[in-house]
Amino acid sequence: MLVTWRYKPRKSLIQSFDPRAWIIFFACYIACTVLFWDLRYLLVLFAMAMVVVFTSGIRFSEMRRAWLFIGGFVVFFSFLTFLTGRGGIELYTEEHLITRWEAGFTLLGWRPTLTVTAEKTMYAVSMLVRVFSLASMTILIPYSLNPAHYGIIFKGLGLPDKVAYGMDLTMRFIPSFGRDFMLTRDAQRARGYELEKLSGGLVAQVRKLAPLIVPVTIHAIVSSEDIIDAMDLRAFGVGPRTWLEELHYRTRDRLLIGFGVVMLLTSIALSLFGMGKFWVPQFLLQLAAAG
Amino acid sequence: MALPPPVRIENLSFRYRSRTDFAIHNINLTVDEPQIVLIAGASGCGKTTLARCINGLIPRSYKGELSGKIYLQGQDIAGLPLARISQLVGTVLQDPERQILGSIVMNEVAFGLENLGLSRDEIRRRVDEALERLKIAHLRDRQTHYLSGGEKQKVALAGVLAMKPSILLLDEPLASLDPASAQEALEVIRGLADEGMTVLMVEHRVEDVLRVRPERVLFMKEGEIQYDGDPQHLVERVDYREVKLPAPMIMELAIKDPPPPPLNILPGVNGGSVPLVEFKDVVFGYESGPEVLHGINLQIRRGDVIAVLGPNGAGKTTLVKHAIGLLKPKRGQVLINGRDTHQLSVAEIASTLGYVFQSPSHMLFAPTVYDELAFGPTNLKHPEEEIRKEVSQAIEIVNLQGYEKTPPLSMSFGQQKRVSIAAILAMRSRILVMDEPTAGQDYKNYMNFMNSILGMPGFEAILFITHDLDMAVIYANRVLLVNDGQVVADGKPAEVLSDLERLRQCRLLPTSLLETNLQYYPRTQQFFRAEALTHVLASGN
Repeated sequence: MLVTWRYKPRKSLIQSFDPRAWIIFFACYIACTVLFWDLRYLLVLFAMAMVVVFTSGIRFSEMRRAWLFIGGFVVFFSFLTFLTGRGGIELYTEEHLITRWEAGFTLLGWRPTLTVTAEKTMYAVSMLVRVFSLASMTILIPYSLNPAHYGIIFKGLGLPDKVAYGMDLTMRFIPSFGRDFMLTRDAQRARGYELEKLSGGLVAQVRKLAPLIVPVTIHAIVSSEDIIDAMDLRAFGVGPRTWLEELHYRTRDRLLIGFGVVMLLTSIALSLFGMGKFWVPQFLLQLAAAG
Repeated sequence: MALPPPVRIENLSFRYRSRTDFAIHNINLTVDEPQIVLIAGASGCGKTTLARCINGLIPRSYKGELSGKIYLQGQDIAGLPLARISQLVGTVLQDPERQILGSIVMNEVAFGLENLGLSRDEIRRRVDEALERLKIAHLRDRQTHYLSGGEKQKVALAGVLAMKPSILLLDEPLASLDPASAQEALEVIRGLADEGMTVLMVEHRVEDVLRVRPERVLFMKEGEIQYDGDPQHLVERVDYREVKLPAPMIMELAIKDPPPPPLNILPGVNGGSVPLVEFKDVVFGYESGPEVLHGINLQIRRGDVIAVLGPNGAGKTTLVKHAIGLLKPKRGQVLINGRDTHQLSVAEIASTLGYVFQSPSHMLFAPTVYDELAFGPTNLKHPEEEIRKEVSQAIEIVNLQGYEKTPPLSMSFGQQKRVSIAAILAMRSRILVMDEPTAGQDYKNYMNFMNSILGMPGFEAILFITHDLDMAVIYANRVLLVNDGQVVADGKPAEVLSDLERLRQCRLLPTSLLETNLQYYPRTQQFFRAEALTHVLASGN
């Protein structure tokens, strides 16, 4: 059986709009964010995301896990990019060295070296802000959409009945998968299995994950077959379907969609004029020159 | 012109693609008028296969060789798509978890009606009607996954009833219900039949169904109908060891057989009272949810065989999950052999306390039954020679000899459940805890493995959660009644189960076995299973 995300009705900016309008705005927001690398532009978008987060009415304790997971992931990879200097090369051709640090030892003849350049630093910061803005807006969605509306949202966005219901099921698949994983982990722990004590090489470790991976995977397959049977047993797909829930656009929803579209068109226009590209502030370049 | 019979089946046979023998063979059945038809039989008798043929899942979802004809309301269903058949016959599956699709009760019940393209007003009206009828209107706006097992089953039934099928097919609908909910569901079903619905009910809890006076009973064995007639004459043709009959009926039959061997419960334990597990003022609630357990005080002592009874959603599973440390109390303490579970890992507790989960599908992973069973003892670092012995004994207890090399994932649900029990038995923990060990099992199998488990040397205490009052009557030496997150009674079965008013408050209904035992208790001073009681009474006279 599918479970849902932890939605509850809240007095919040995000929930004051029709969910379809919000999804359209969200899509525009994502498109805008990926168009820019200029930190100044990105900070405007980041500020918008923060307004939505802080007016969402969702307590941090409710979202803690999602934030720790995604936040940890984003920070880790931004830092890794900074250390290795990988990525960003397509954005800049020239680098201005700020400082260079060499380890006092060598590893098999290789001396670990960290070069801090103005471009690398800005790339890491821009990347962090960009991904964080996207993540912030995305995390809120499952907490803010009424699960009873999943199907009708997609139907209302123009998808056919079957695809819309499929999307409804897909939205609920992720938390269900999480629940199954926890149940399996508990059942195996009760058999003396300790995930924390995995040892051996990579292959051996993956093999030792079988007690978790196999039941969860099989369960997912079996449940999807059950879902298909259950749908068939209740006449799914015999003809055009009525959607019990109804959604109606109000003026504020139309305004939100309008705002999203204008924002996107403006962003496209700006980027066509070559604006919003990777930007390195003057003071960093001066710092590099001084160094 | 006369109306066609609701159900007509002619020479129906089916063989699953992966099997060599036929699951059902040459079935002929005509149901002429609306009535309740009970289809009973042990697992593997073909009753579920017959149900799947009628609702069209065979051959559409389950492939194999099918011959014969099925007519529903005069229509040959062979060429019809499943969605069309579902308008003729509404199916409620054994496990509501596998049937519920909607995230909110309202949407779940409306699902079929939405698919039929009815108007919104009509859908709302029918949803409300179905919810009222099952007395669950208060659940209308609740999220389905927060419901208890019994509530889920009623919601699943409401979703089917709302579609107003002329035939209702129920596949073991009582399996996850507490006795009072089961009785309520049965009464609703009786009402539907009286109003003109044909009800086909597959169930091995014959005793419960007989209470709502089915007009007709089919008893199936080895893929064929062995008995087809009224309930009164069933007793002449049916094996009382295979389906659960009312106690007086069993007594009448069993007196002709030799008495069953006496139960040898916890043979390794002499004398008890040492506390193995102790709950001290345990309070618990899930994350931001309301409190589920309110100050539980409890000791599990050496020699205890405890049946935990209570309504759906009373907190029984939450309570026992504390015993293995999967849940830790918010306030208070749980001590295992004097040590606080806050300081122990689940794996450490597992060597003392074996816990059998309700659902086997969350734990089976190994390529063979042998490997599956060896997993626990290997984790607990038992010597290899020892593991071999433990595994083979566990296999014997759950009656799965010959399946050692079979992949557990390819087995039937009932067999998987037995593998999951054996997997814990093989660990040789000193305390065994089982959550609904008999759910999804047929009567004969669960009576056999309960006998074997209770008679296994090595356990110092056993605790099981059950909805089946008779399990407590037959096997327990102590009964815990849990209601609304509290232990409302704790004592010897004869003490706890004789308070019928309190049982009713906990949504338990006295069974014929309990009533018979209570009737003779002044003479017997002990509870017996029906087969044994009849001989005890006979020898006393």
